[in-house]
Amino acid sequence: MNPDTIKRYIRKEFSGWWMISMIGAAVVLLPVLFIFFSIFTEPNENWYQIQQYLLRNYITNSVILVGLTSLLTAFIGVTLAWLIAAYDFPLKKYFRWGLILPIAIPPYIGAYTYRTMLSYTGVVQSTLRNEFHYQVDPDFLAVSSLRGAVFIFTIFLFPYVYMITRPFLENQSTAYFENARLLGRKPLAIFLKVILPLSRPAIVGGALLTVYEVLSDYGVTSYFGIHTIATAIFQTWFGMYDVDSALKLASWLMVAVIGVFLFERLLRKGRHYHLSTKSRPLTPMKLTGIKAGIATLYCSIIFLLGFLIPVVQLISWSILTFESIWNDSFFTLMTQTLYVATLSTIIILVIVVVVANVCRSQSAFSYTLSKIITSGYSIPGAIIAIGVLALFITLDNWLAPVYSSMGLGKAPLILSMSIAMLIFGNVIRFMATGYNAVEVGYEKMGLKFTEASRTLGLGKTRTFFKVDLPLIKGALFSGFVLTFVEICKELPLALLLRPFNFETLATKTFQYAKDERIHEASISSLLIIAISILSVIVFQMIERREKQ
Amino acid sequence: MKFLKFLFTSILLALILAACTGKEQAADKLSAKEPNEEAAEEKVVNVYTARHYEADDEVYKKFTEETGIQVNVVKGEAEELIERLKREGESTEADLFITVDGGVLANAKQNDILQSVTSDVIEANVPENLRDADNNWIGMATRARIIAYAKDRVKPDQLSTYDDLTTDKWKGKVLARSSTSLYNQSLLASFIELNGEEKAEQWAAGIANNFARQPDGGDRDQAKAIAAGTGDVAIMNTYYVGLLVNSQESEEAKVGENIGVFFPNQETTGTHINISGIGLTKHAKHPNNATKLIEYITSIEAQEFLSANNYEFPVNSKAKKPELLQSWGEFKAQKLNFDTLGEHNQKAIEIFNKVGWK
Repeated sequence: MNPDTIKRYIRKEFSGWWMISMIGAAVVLLPVLFIFFSIFTEPNENWYQIQQYLLRNYITNSVILVGLTSLLTAFIGVTLAWLIAAYDFPLKKYFRWGLILPIAIPPYIGAYTYRTMLSYTGVVQSTLRNEFHYQVDPDFLAVSSLRGAVFIFTIFLFPYVYMITRPFLENQSTAYFENARLLGRKPLAIFLKVILPLSRPAIVGGALLTVYEVLSDYGVTSYFGIHTIATAIFQTWFGMYDVDSALKLASWLMVAVIGVFLFERLLRKGRHYHLSTKSRPLTPMKLTGIKAGIATLYCSIIFLLGFLIPVVQLISWSILTFESIWNDSFFTLMTQTLYVATLSTIIILVIVVVVANVCRSQSAFSYTLSKIITSGYSIPGAIIAIGVLALFITLDNWLAPVYSSMGLGKAPLILSMSIAMLIFGNVIRFMATGYNAVEVGYEKMGLKFTEASRTLGLGKTRTFFKVDLPLIKGALFSGFVLTFVEICKELPLALLLRPFNFETLATKTFQYAKDERIHEASISSLLIIAISILSVIVFQMIERREKQ
Repeated sequence: MKFLKFLFTSILLALILAACTGKEQAADKLSAKEPNEEAAEEKVVNVYTARHYEADDEVYKKFTEETGIQVNVVKGEAEELIERLKREGESTEADLFITVDGGVLANAKQNDILQSVTSDVIEANVPENLRDADNNWIGMATRARIIAYAKDRVKPDQLSTYDDLTTDKWKGKVLARSSTSLYNQSLLASFIELNGEEKAEQWAAGIANNFARQPDGGDRDQAKAIAAGTGDVAIMNTYYVGLLVNSQESEEAKVGENIGVFFPNQETTGTHINISGIGLTKHAKHPNNATKLIEYITSIEAQEFLSANNYEFPVNSKAKKPELLQSWGEFKAQKLNFDTLGEHNQKAIEIFNKVGWK
């Protein structure tokens, strides 16, 4: 290699963009690395006990849970996306956006709603008992099991796949689809041979979010008494009072998740998904008769289970408890929730757009970097919180001389007692939702336009503003909504990182749910759901306007 | 393009806004702290609490009304708050640490984040057995871990001790929640302390052997399982009986009315109690205000309020109990050093894992 090539290589790779994303990444990485490095700490006695008694069983459970959930969410998400994109049937107009709504319900709220609803005193059993004198076998309706958890995760998380896959199919698949049809392929064959392979990046992007979410979940699994790696982390921390071993366990979880990425990457190697953006939108075919009926029924069942039933149940509980629970402080809770979520989401998007742009170069290094940055999503929030806490307290200690010169007293905690800590925690934890959406956007547009613009003489930055950004606008929106909704639903970070007298809707929900006061938790749950729905609706409106 | 400009301006604005609010908060602190720091404490007390009850908030409010001292609160999970206190070290802003369960309180003490409280008022309010041996924490309320029974199927005179539940007559009839619950861990830890490891293990194995079903759900769910006929007796917390009886949902209230409360081990070691306590943090910046708050919380007035609204037993013996709690009668509680609960906690978990109490 001659010096010129190297120079050119350096100039190409290490631009200002590169610098910015490196600095951004470094900041974000600090707490993640803090957790990661506990992998090298000396194992103690507890660690051996964990390895001996807990790990095998817990890993098996986690793998089963993650495997089944991601398969089912991918299946439901893709089939629904395909039905809605390619066919016309009764009520489709409503299902098109209605099927996004389950994402508004945090799985832990869904879990306790279903569990209480199906319990002995719940509406199902008590109606059967009191009206029809029929006693149900309690085992039949027991949701607190592995299969119950798979159901809860699937029914509330499939919109990840649906949301990312549907617009992709609607806008990108027309040419392939029509050609296949002209060549005489049957609908099922088209779905399997054309649509599935085509939408792979979108499906994987969505399914990975599910994997992350399930792996890091503590709410549903602990409520249902299922032992997973996440619950093992907490059992080590809360039961054995051993934070170090808990961190160590979390770091192994991180390694496993990054391994899954690299594996997926390997499988995909050499395949590129640069699709034509010129493509016309897909014209749906009209379904009639029994086929239309089946399509409508399928969508209805999913919509009922994933949204209508739990929401109606929550509404009835909130009517029951409204008088004793409601007060003005709920307005404060709402504004505080919105404030934190908006600010965190905006910061996430700015970082994500820059980093994802740099990572388009497809080098192994940038790929690994992007995955480490987003790996925060796979770690239970409370563990991330320890990393953030450690970072902020260290920062405060460093800044102590500055504080005291400002007359703030000796070694006070200013950063770590401010809302900045919580926002920072959110940024790290939810980078993945924003990143995956934006990455899909970049993948979809490919490099052609950017390269053309660069060849025609525009710099990297101007190309970004004039070419890249307008083209990924849609992805940016879905990234915003996904991330915003996630942060509104988020609990463990808010619990550990909040400043004095700070409550969000999620912490309020937790306050009651922890105490098994499910009915009392319904009002704050509904408000979380309402805020999430509103953001989904706003997203739909903007999307529609953009289309026109 | 217009849209893009809008997007970027709004992002910029948001960032500036964030920076400003950060500064504002710092400025607030500045003005609050500047004048002669060493002199009298500001009228503030900062609390980290793992108790998420509205009744507690009400008590703080009343305290502020009476003394003018502002109470700032961070609510979280006990172990997480302990971790936060540990990491904050000397610079912590927290003055008080409040949590449920003697084992956790002992853990906080072991982690050296608490210090001894000295106050004659507190010592008069709270009997010695409901305080830490070194006054590192002070009890503020208790709950009893009792045997709940189906009123229509079980007569109270069939019940006697926790041990009795391991006998054959209760085979397939006993209900309890998972061993991951701190309540069960502390219960077993107390048996390890009182009867020794071997007996404690026999007990846990005996209960697991008599289960009506695998542990499922929380304490409330055990009561519901009694109502459903799945089992006849359940080990549960009085607090949840109170919640059930007073539930706004009629089916739940019915469950509450159909179960009886039995205090076991009255002739022997006494019923296990679960204690909530307040500790003064080691590096508290407002120790005087903090002590005043503990004095207030343990006062007759606050104790009666807590007991009436949260179905917990008062620690101040002069405080009157509400009707429901009175209806359960007086009982003899276990007498032990709460530090031992923390010490035996890990052993308890090991035993549960060993005997297969899920």
